[in-house]
Amino acid sequence: MNSVPLNAYLVVAAALFCFGLYGSLTRRNAVGILMGVELMLNAVNINLVAFWRYLTPEHLGGQVFAVFIIALAAAEAAIGLALFIAIYRTRDTVNVEDINLMKW
Amino acid sequence: MVSGLDFQLFLPETILLVGGIAVLIADLFLRERADRETNLAWVSLAILVAALVASAAQYGVSESLFRSSADPVAPGAFVVDGFTTFFRIIAILTTIIVFLASVEYVRGRTAFRGEFFALMIFSTLAMTLMAGSTDLVMVIISLEFLSITSYILTGYLRGNVKSNEGAVKYFLYGSITTAITFYGASLLFGVAGSTNLYDIAARFADPTAIIGTPLMSLVLPAIIFLLAGFGFKIALVPFHQWSPDAYEGAPTPVTAFLSVGPKAAGFAMLLRVFAVALPEFTHEWAALMIGVAMVTMTLGNIVALSQTNVKRLLAYSSIAQAGYMLIGVAGVSVANIAGIAPGEGGAGLAIDGTAGVLLYILAYLFTNLGLFIGVIAVDYLAGSDTLPGYAGLLRRAPFLTVAMTIFFLSLVGIPPTAGFIGKFWVFGAAIQNQLFALAAVGAINGVISVVYYFRILKQMWYEAPADPTPLRLPGTMNAALWICLSLTLLIGLFPAPFIEFANQSIHMLGVFVRS
Amino acid sequence: MLAEWSFVGVFLVIALAFPPLGLVTAWLLRPKRPGPIKKSTYECGLETVGDTWVQFKVQYYIYALIFVIFDIEIAFLLPWAVAHMGLSAAQGILPLIEVVIFVGILVAGLMYAWRKGALEWI
Repeated sequence: MNSVPLNAYLVVAAALFCFGLYGSLTRRNAVGILMGVELMLNAVNINLVAFWRYLTPEHLGGQVFAVFIIALAAAEAAIGLALFIAIYRTRDTVNVEDINLMKW
Repeated sequence: MVSGLDFQLFLPETILLVGGIAVLIADLFLRERADRETNLAWVSLAILVAALVASAAQYGVSESLFRSSADPVAPGAFVVDGFTTFFRIIAILTTIIVFLASVEYVRGRTAFRGEFFALMIFSTLAMTLMAGSTDLVMVIISLEFLSITSYILTGYLRGNVKSNEGAVKYFLYGSITTAITFYGASLLFGVAGSTNLYDIAARFADPTAIIGTPLMSLVLPAIIFLLAGFGFKIALVPFHQWSPDAYEGAPTPVTAFLSVGPKAAGFAMLLRVFAVALPEFTHEWAALMIGVAMVTMTLGNIVALSQTNVKRLLAYSSIAQAGYMLIGVAGVSVANIAGIAPGEGGAGLAIDGTAGVLLYILAYLFTNLGLFIGVIAVDYLAGSDTLPGYAGLLRRAPFLTVAMTIFFLSLVGIPPTAGFIGKFWVFGAAIQNQLFALAAVGAINGVISVVYYFRILKQMWYEAPADPTPLRLPGTMNAALWICLSLTLLIGLFPAPFIEFANQSIHMLGVFVRS
Repeated sequence: MLAEWSFVGVFLVIALAFPPLGLVTAWLLRPKRPGPIKKSTYECGLETVGDTWVQFKVQYYIYALIFVIFDIEIAFLLPWAVAHMGLSAAQGILPLIEVVIFVGILVAGLMYAWRKGALEWI
């Protein structure tokens, strides 16, 4: 059942990565940006697992890497949301265009 | 598989981890005691000093830890060698000095002190881990570990609008660039089929195995994506936008820490990953470095010209300083890192870019931290971080003014200071590697930087103070200032032992070079 | 190659045809007697009150964070357990020590949250 080539997975991952990057660069809501970043991290995971399955199925390195990426994504989201709550309390907004006290 | 030796060589990290958790928990249970923050500060300092001693005791060790149980000969995920020891010492020293300077400051400004000390210890741990990682998984985790602790430290003043804003901007830039870095790491893993840096190097060194396969086209994107993450930590130019805002918003001791610690750790990781895993692509990444170094220096210096907030000005100055260090990375000779003497025409002074970077970081550590102690003192005692706040500092704190002047001279690179030795070594490496254009851009930038440093000096020396009451520095702050001042001058006046130290520290374990 | 992928194409065609097919059949067969109750958004159930964009209490978020501690714990404990299915004599109790360190760090995190009062509903 190996009829789907590795390239297909890589293309899906690259597309997902680009969607995530586009989303995180165009969103104005900080939480939206974070969601874009999560998409990018999932693209990384697709890459890792696909490479692992096709190139080095005998070593578990790729899978373990993916598990660690998931954990890091969770940690990052937790910190990010905490920071957004902190700024929402002082500024009443998480719109990144309004977070502009400091420029240049 | 972990052996007893692994634990022994992992001692500095173990001390930091256990100590950090202990400080965090102790803070929770000593809540009611009035003297706890002073006690906790001394305990934290003792933990850091213990870790420093444990790191220094491993000078000269060259050993790979945490090998796989299936293949005990293969190198593991972490390595202790001269390079690791150097950056462990740099990381811990940075935190100790920032600590000394910040005890008084933190006491006055925030309700959560135990956490502050614990977070500082944890970020030190992250930096030491970054220095010795030799596995992509370890590289990624330690990078993210340092990022996360830095985000929290930046946003530490929870009710302060600027602190919040700095942290959110830092986080948003950081999360996007780290995601890009992770993507680069996944591509590198795919091309080489291993997460271990040594295995990756071995795969690329075997031309029949990999050259010519379509996957090879992924190497260059992988290099660029990885550079995004390292460049973000170092604040190189396309990834620098966070740094002025984070520096201005963060509590001033954290700014001091951010301007030295993560930068040094980022350089450690950049050099390690590129020299160990990608020596076959030295031409590609060295060329990238040349371009990035030029842009970084120039943009940092030119934007710094128009700043009025001193923290922000120093942020741009430190971006420019990172550009100078990158000159050394561009002039890296992988053969030297591997411990092979450079072959052709080695008569006289053979300057290596890596030694230049290490020396520059050592000089920059004391110089920049010293300068920031001055900024912390003015912020703490006079409550100002804008240029007019420094008016007439000579009359309010004469010793501090003289010390800060020496630090400014060192940042520019005037001879009897540490900065001169660092600049000499970095520029020397560039010139020996025929990178004349790069050296010229660096020299022009040195001249530009004088202009904005002089703006602060002018305020301090010639302007009349708005409020002439003298500023008395707390004892710990004074101690930190003295450490920085004496080492800045010591490196400048007697550079030989420090050059020897840097030269001993460039050898990384098991770098493969095809002759 | 193409034959292997043909089932995806067939699947796509069926998937696209299925929803309109059901809707059109129902539209042809059903009697048409509209009334005010029948036209309401939810024919059975309660009318929604107020805006859907309400703020959730921030407390939920803290619980979610503490949940993440256990979430990550299990994500790592399961592979650990599988990897050490047959504990070999050569390794001894080392894997156990490793996992105790790991869980210990997480417990420190939980203890922190507990002492800080994050577990109490305000």
